[in-house]
Amino acid sequence: MLSAANIIAALERHAITHVLGVPDNGSCVLYEQLWKHDSIEVILTSREGEAYGLASGLYLGGAHPLVLIQNTGFLEAGDAFRGTAYNMGIPLVMLVGYRGFATLAPDAPRVDTAATFFEPTLKAWNIPYTAMHTDDDLGQLDAAFAEAQATSLPTAVLLVAETA
Amino acid sequence: MLDKYTCLAKLAAKRTDEVVVTTMSVAMPWAAHSDGPLDFAHVESAMGHAADFALGLAIARPERRVLCLNGDGSTLMSLGVLVTLAQRPARNLTLVITENGTYEVTGSQPVPGAAFIDYAQICRGAGLQHVYTIDDDDDFDAQLDQHFAATGPVVFIWKIAPATEPVPKPARPIGERARRLRAALVGQG
Repeated sequence: MLSAANIIAALERHAITHVLGVPDNGSCVLYEQLWKHDSIEVILTSREGEAYGLASGLYLGGAHPLVLIQNTGFLEAGDAFRGTAYNMGIPLVMLVGYRGFATLAPDAPRVDTAATFFEPTLKAWNIPYTAMHTDDDLGQLDAAFAEAQATSLPTAVLLVAETA
Repeated sequence: MLDKYTCLAKLAAKRTDEVVVTTMSVAMPWAAHSDGPLDFAHVESAMGHAADFALGLAIARPERRVLCLNGDGSTLMSLGVLVTLAQRPARNLTLVITENGTYEVTGSQPVPGAAFIDYAQICRGAGLQHVYTIDDDDDFDAQLDQHFAATGPVVFIWKIAPATEPVPKPARPIGERARRLRAALVGQG
């Protein structure tokens, strides 16, 4: 499990103003706790691609957005990601839920293609990424913010565990 | 039926310090009037996502009007954003849907539903309360000021005559356009 409270504390530390995306089973607790924080506005989008356009506009207007979606939505949003945040050079951190991670184990009874397609797609699209399995990995979030700023490009943090 | 070029000329004559986001067949005709830092051609980008991009700008800069000149084909590519616009209303956002029923820059193939689609009804069904359809010059002239002043999110559907525009090619790459827009809005590239 990943502590939603700890993640929110990190987002506040990085002065995030808006969280954009679509909740999923792994991020629902994080979303619910974010709604209680006045310092961060949550805007739900109808589809994940909108989150990238919205985030890009927010950033160019001076805000500090973050995208919070699941890998299924990330795969759907490919062109929106490419054409907005990536092409515009937005230093955007995205937290992406890793649905199906457990099915990548060799002895898993079935495979979730949301998982098998995920990291190869990140690599193909040249998106730097890191992963958070437990709260011990919270430093990965700080590293992602630093990388996004250094490169002026989006960076992904994969949420391997559910938030609680 | 409206003439797109005439409408854009009238809009440009009234425009002062608003951000104007354009797409596809409107981008270059608008650039002929104005191609400054606050004019953002949302091309070489992601078709269908100009409206959510404009919403982000409007939320971040509530003191400044943001106009998004979207096409009907672009609108169809992300209809869900109309709900998002209604759910998170930005009082300073104006969305124009230029409806000519075609994908103009690829040779004027018809968009899906060109013969029967009702954008005003779709917008209202999505929860947008201020929706106006304009199909003649007198109505356009009467509504022109409201493009800049009406409480947003406000949608104007321009019923425009089909025309022929080539694939838009802005003068600057999209990354540069983004940096200069940010510089104009917040003073940083």
